[in-house]
Amino acid sequence: MSLDCLPVTERRWIGRDVVRVEDRSLLTGRTRFIDDVVLPGMLHCAILRSPFPHARIIQIDTSRAEALPGVAAVVTGADALAWCQPARSTPEGWGLRCLASDTAHFVGEPIAAVAAASRAAAEDALEAIDVEYEPLEPVTDPFRAMSGDSPLVMEGKGTNVMFHRVFTWGEVDAAFAGAEHVFTEKFRWNRVGANPTETFGTVCEWDPGTLELCVYGSIQAASSAALGCAGTFGIPSSKVTVKSQHHGGSFGGKGGARGIVVASMLSRKAGGRPVKWIEDRSEYLVAGGGQAWDRHYEASIAVSGGRVTALSVTLVDDLGASGEGFGALGAAKPLAAFTGPYEIPTARYDLSLVATNKTPVFPYRGMGPPPHFFVLEQMMDIAARALEIDPAEFRRANFIPADRFPYTIPSGNEYDSGNYGEVLDAALSLAGYAELRREQEEARKQGRLMGVGVVSTVEPGVFDWNAYAIVGMPQTGVPEGATVSIDILGSITVRVGFSMEGQGQYTLVSQLVADYFHVDMDAVSVVQLDTRSAPPSFGPGGSRLGVAISAAVLGACQRLTGTLRRVAAALLRAPEDQIELWDGNFVLKDRSGGALSVAKVAATMLARSDLLPPGVDPLPEATYVWTAPGRTPADDEGRAKSYLTAAQAVHVVVVEIDPDTGVVEILKYAVADDCGVRLNPATVEGQLDGSIAQGIGAALYEEYVYDEEGQPLVATLADYLIPTINEIPVTQKTAVVTPSPFTPLGAKGCGEGAIHTTPAAVMCAINDAMAPRGVLLTEVPASPQRVWKTIREANR
Amino acid sequence: MEWATVKPAAFDYAAPTSLAEALTLLGDPDRDATVLAGGQSLLPMLNMRLARPELVVDIGRIPNLAGIEEREGALVFGAMTTKAAVESSALVLRQQPLLHAATKLVGHPQIRSRGTVGGSMAQADPAAEYPAVAVATGGWMRAVGADGERTIPAADFFVTCLTTGLAPGELLVEVGIPALSAGTGWSFTELSRRHGDFAMAGVAVTVRLDRAGCFEESRIVVFGVGDIPTRMSAAEELLRGERPEPSLYRRAADAVRDAFDAPMSDIHASAEYRLHLAGVLAERGIADAVARAHPGEEGPNR
Repeated sequence: MSLDCLPVTERRWIGRDVVRVEDRSLLTGRTRFIDDVVLPGMLHCAILRSPFPHARIIQIDTSRAEALPGVAAVVTGADALAWCQPARSTPEGWGLRCLASDTAHFVGEPIAAVAAASRAAAEDALEAIDVEYEPLEPVTDPFRAMSGDSPLVMEGKGTNVMFHRVFTWGEVDAAFAGAEHVFTEKFRWNRVGANPTETFGTVCEWDPGTLELCVYGSIQAASSAALGCAGTFGIPSSKVTVKSQHHGGSFGGKGGARGIVVASMLSRKAGGRPVKWIEDRSEYLVAGGGQAWDRHYEASIAVSGGRVTALSVTLVDDLGASGEGFGALGAAKPLAAFTGPYEIPTARYDLSLVATNKTPVFPYRGMGPPPHFFVLEQMMDIAARALEIDPAEFRRANFIPADRFPYTIPSGNEYDSGNYGEVLDAALSLAGYAELRREQEEARKQGRLMGVGVVSTVEPGVFDWNAYAIVGMPQTGVPEGATVSIDILGSITVRVGFSMEGQGQYTLVSQLVADYFHVDMDAVSVVQLDTRSAPPSFGPGGSRLGVAISAAVLGACQRLTGTLRRVAAALLRAPEDQIELWDGNFVLKDRSGGALSVAKVAATMLARSDLLPPGVDPLPEATYVWTAPGRTPADDEGRAKSYLTAAQAVHVVVVEIDPDTGVVEILKYAVADDCGVRLNPATVEGQLDGSIAQGIGAALYEEYVYDEEGQPLVATLADYLIPTINEIPVTQKTAVVTPSPFTPLGAKGCGEGAIHTTPAAVMCAINDAMAPRGVLLTEVPASPQRVWKTIREANR
Repeated sequence: MEWATVKPAAFDYAAPTSLAEALTLLGDPDRDATVLAGGQSLLPMLNMRLARPELVVDIGRIPNLAGIEEREGALVFGAMTTKAAVESSALVLRQQPLLHAATKLVGHPQIRSRGTVGGSMAQADPAAEYPAVAVATGGWMRAVGADGERTIPAADFFVTCLTTGLAPGELLVEVGIPALSAGTGWSFTELSRRHGDFAMAGVAVTVRLDRAGCFEESRIVVFGVGDIPTRMSAAEELLRGERPEPSLYRRAADAVRDAFDAPMSDIHASAEYRLHLAGVLAERGIADAVARAHPGEEGPNR
């Protein structure tokens, strides 16, 4: 679809770069974040954490802590046993309670918590809690964890294997048996994850009068948090209100269920005084929502006549000590784009989800495909290199042709539209690919290690729960609603269920409504409702909100227009079907007669009951809740029409490696990207830049390191290396626009495509650089030490 | 309410306005006192409760502890001089370009605007740039205590990881870095994971070449590998009197690698990799320093 559905002669806002409505308050320091929330009588929480990866808790004595001045409440695993259910999890039944009661399962697991008059007093009290532990043998290697003699992370389960299944799509064995060439390789993707500027924080108030719980927090998915709280505490969800503050990024890492539950228990125990918990960076890094994708892969592809005929991927995914972080969803999402942009007719996915004594994994931007595409794209290069085909042309030969869309991939999802060859051409031309290969030839003659990576991936956009059916998500559909309301003076308010997180969605809402009703963006206000007031809403996640909220707002505008038109018809004394909205006025379709502004019609509804047609309420307001059309429940092989849109990108990366130090320098970075209609091009570019930065982090810098005993070796940002502006190259970008036929404005999800592509592209470039030495680096991140060791292997 | 969100264990805070007052506070044997200079290391340590002093003595209000002056062929820095001040000093750029180059590698502008010369020296992080500069240039520290003042050569100041020769109650007040004499070639090379990180390995080099273009004197200091910045005497000896050439630098690099028994190791760089890097950087650093040297030139700074 397209922007042409808007009832204006000329669009002034949508589809253009506009100044974001969020920025004035952000840049002047007026935006209120969770740590700005101060309630009367508020207490401060600190959490005591397990120093052991695996230990029996023999005894906890909190009496000394309780006696300290300023301490209002102390909670332990005993309180959690009395008041809470274990966290909901994927796979189901692998959740832990918010405080460990008899066993600690990972370093940093909350053991007890204190609410006191200040954070320092609460921290003091932690030191006065006496815990007697009996250390148990930990398991940190998922392969050991899968073996029969491994210690068990959760004793009652009798196994550490949370999930194992082999999905087969098509005649994959026959394809491998009959192939001219089969290539197989193992890969290791080390733990990385989200690191938003702001860590998680919450203020929780358990009202002993109304028996209601009110939660403020830097929460990504407010409605899910509210349902989770109700389930954990066994109270009606109508008694829980979650007010998500605007927050400093999330990227999936604001999981934080434990923090909310612990602070709520403390509030309950402290007689209803609100309790604030602000996770510090070390807590976040060691045991927060920032860890994801700890993966061991083995992959094979079959190639005949230059075409890939089968893909087989075996994944052992180390989820850490529980399924509470929903990290398992990241192993399911690749089904939405398993074979990438390629026409690969058959595929197999052998998936094991394994528990170890490490921090539970959480979602991270991209939600699983970044490692999957790292593997798929290395395999494409391995094959191209062996067959002496240019990697760009090998990809082109295997692309899904432009005339085959909508196209259903073997793992079940349907891609809406695309023109992959055109995007490849755009990227190669932008990068000057032919010249790059000539430069590379020269460099190689001089013994320099210069490499070019050409990588293409598909970004599934607008997630649907059915994409995660295989790991236990039963739903189909993710509703997102908005209410558009016009007041007596013609000002427009849009009420939504999500807070600002950085993606500029309030701007998008303002752009769309301003163009729809032909007013200035300033005339539109966007208001966030809490979970008990808002229409059904999930919020940001899964590259969905831009498409979902624009569809909801458009639907609400259209519905409201229908009501206003009835009134306008009465006022203009014309049949309703002869009247349309155009450029902010209700006019006759043949342009005879008068015009009535939207504001005038709305004011009439509210102020002139005498003129109101029978059956019309004096309510110039409409709510519309959108969910992606045409979604299907998963079949017994996990196949579903899941993600609604499929954006596609090609990244061309040039690197040079210093063979003496192993340092990788990015010399050039070119991106061609097709995410359909760009509703706010500047926002799309921002999404690309941020996503590329995180991709470079994953490829070269970031890693949560544990020692063999399960002790985390990353506790500060001096250990966990997020790339800074100094490490991120300036990228050249170009856009191809293939509108989505499935979304109202033709836009596609665009928040995750670059992190899907960047790690693969950088690693392909590195391996291309090292190719003359005959070595392959199959592990990320490509730290200088790892690259140096790989090159040294070649020298031996 | 802001006070309610801070995390350190309780401590007393004093902000003396004279050196004498500060020394009295620091000299109390019954109180575990620590000095707050730029706070770039201390404050995180306090928040993590890894540092738990009874008393924090903020020396930021003592007059005349910051500033850069030229004295007897050396640049003298008040202990509270920020790295930003060093970075923007024309005097430093002219007289001691090695220090200028090293300064730009210390953290980021925000850190340099707070972090101080004295703080870096007293912190004695084995991978920090400033201690290496002090050792490579033959610098000195002036410390004042209850018993008076003394000057400690940089080579003796750094004892081991995070430990200096400052006596209890002594305050570092001045750092002297000799100006680079005319004709001296120099280099400051480090490898860190990201710009501004502590180095996995680094090498500071100064060389003087004689009229014939051969090595007359050299100083090679490796940091980030051992527990303190360390002069590479064997490598320096190996260069003496020789004509500069790549094969010589490679031999010097081997000597550097042989100089360490137990290199540091962490998640970013193993002992083996650090040692390898030290050699690579020494080889490159010597070459760079030689390229900057003017053979046979003597006398005061250019």
